Amino acid sequence: MSRYKTRKGKEVVFLVAMAILTFVGILPLFHIIVTVFTEGLPVIAERGFTFLTGTLSNGGIGPAIAGTFILMFLSSLIGLPVALLVGIYAYEYPNSLIGRWTKTLLQIMLEFPTILVGVFVMNIVAIPMGTYSGFAGAFALAVILMPYVAVYTQEAMRQIPFTYREASFGLGLSRIKIISRILVPLSKRGILTGVLIGMAKVAGETAPLLFTVGGLYQSYPTSITKPIGAIPLLIYTLIQSPSNADHAMAWGASLVLLLIFLLIFIPVRASLKEVRL
Amino acid sequence: MPLFPFFLRYFRRKKNEDTLHFKNIKRIDTLKVITSPAIIFVLLLFVWMLTVYFYNALPAFIREGLEVYFRNTWQAAEEASKEYYGLAAPIWGTIYTSIIAILIALPISIADSVFVVDYAPKKVKNFFIIISDMMAGLPTIIYGIWGAFVLVPFLQKYVMMPLYKHLSFIPIFSSPPITGYSYFSAGILLGIMVTPFASAIIREAYQMVPFTYREATLSLGLTRYEATKILLGYIKPAIFSGAILAFGRAVGETVAVSLVIGNTFNLSIGLFAPGYTISSLIANQFGNAFIYKHMLPALYAGGLALFIIGLIVNVVGLYLLKRWQKNVEI
Repeated sequence: MSRYKTRKGKEVVFLVAMAILTFVGILPLFHIIVTVFTEGLPVIAERGFTFLTGTLSNGGIGPAIAGTFILMFLSSLIGLPVALLVGIYAYEYPNSLIGRWTKTLLQIMLEFPTILVGVFVMNIVAIPMGTYSGFAGAFALAVILMPYVAVYTQEAMRQIPFTYREASFGLGLSRIKIISRILVPLSKRGILTGVLIGMAKVAGETAPLLFTVGGLYQSYPTSITKPIGAIPLLIYTLIQSPSNADHAMAWGASLVLLLIFLLIFIPVRASLKEVRL
Repeated sequence: MPLFPFFLRYFRRKKNEDTLHFKNIKRIDTLKVITSPAIIFVLLLFVWMLTVYFYNALPAFIREGLEVYFRNTWQAAEEASKEYYGLAAPIWGTIYTSIIAILIALPISIADSVFVVDYAPKKVKNFFIIISDMMAGLPTIIYGIWGAFVLVPFLQKYVMMPLYKHLSFIPIFSSPPITGYSYFSAGILLGIMVTPFASAIIREAYQMVPFTYREATLSLGLTRYEATKILLGYIKPAIFSGAILAFGRAVGETVAVSLVIGNTFNLSIGLFAPGYTISSLIANQFGNAFIYKHMLPALYAGGLALFIIGLIVNVVGLYLLKRWQKNVEI
């Protein structure tokens, strides 16, 4: 009987420990969200609309917000075509040597230290151009965006039942027609999810921008070959400043960044069962 | 002339073949033609990246040899001859903080996976998965600002100070937590950040455990603790690769770490001492490295080390995971 009791006792300890650990695991997220709101909201409320449109000396982060959206757009422009083609290749030729290499490479790129991409792009774009630029930042972000979109494209197309492929081949369509007319339209939702996840990732990246975009917060960006700002980079700079006013700005900017992230993330999550970032 | 008829026959046979088979059975695959440039671009980009790091790090290897990785001195000087750069401290910091991160992430992600798969009702389950995905995608700079302004003061006051006061005779607790920016803070923050990645891998694996095994554990009349222990034993390789891949993420994390680690050249086992990681070193020093003659190659050497660690860790983790998945599917 006592043996049974120790077994039962162990079970109780196990269940309690598990519940605590699970709770501890999700606690930080709530604390982060609550803190960002409680610290950031007063800053934005106090400055009102100027916070979103003004330049840094006016107490606003307008140029940084503009910069982030420009970088998101440009990096998608560079990264998406490549990513879609790579994803289609990985789906269509999964067992060829290059196909297998590509799949492994995509997985590695997903996990790759992003700072290395930043330094690399500085080396091949910013130094030859002689200046930091929006283009260099967009290129670095495109390298980060690419594997997300490619992996999601490949996965989305793999989910389509094989019978569709057989039927298309049976009709005598060429590979390219099957992909462009049948498989891509059928999997467009999955592909779109990948695109949005990639963009959410790109919006929040800091490390690849450190040595590529340069930062521009006192005026709005005018050209992609000149330095440009971004919200994450601005936050990073502001945190390192000793002044409390700058820290308040950083919290406000964090709230804006968090809202941008949620704005992309929630619709994606609502349309999908599981997201892997 | 025996050769001439032979040639004639060769051509004729070729002609026959053409009429016998479909003419375009080996035609050019247009899809491959269109997609290949993208593939070549991506593969080249990767090789190019490795080349750039190796090429730029070369002067450091020539000047200092492999000692650049094993010496703990970082001497920036105006006179080029007095400069000496050793990366031992950042490498140690990278490994140390990442190990702390794994030690924190592993139990939490295992508990989370077991809870989500075995016990949570469907709605709670979805909620937990959403939370986990959100944590994985949250911009790292937000972790950074929270870590620097909320987590570090909290840890310093309620964790580091008491531990230092009462247990400072144990070597790892022996350094005084003056500012709170330390290996420990960085490790905890990294642990929080990589938990969702480990969770996703372990959860997926735990879901794949064949149902007959669950039935078998129940039919033996095991308690839930014993049953879970057996089922976790079944996915041990997946847990291992989850830990490796999370380690890879922790190694590469930059901005959040550089905001909480203290950025000091230090090679200490003391948890509460400030330190450096390779990525935070690059983030901090790269901007002014151009002033010095020999610093840049040393930083590239650090980048190369990070590159290679990242590559090995990811390849090994992915390989183990794939091998395990194949075993389960059969």
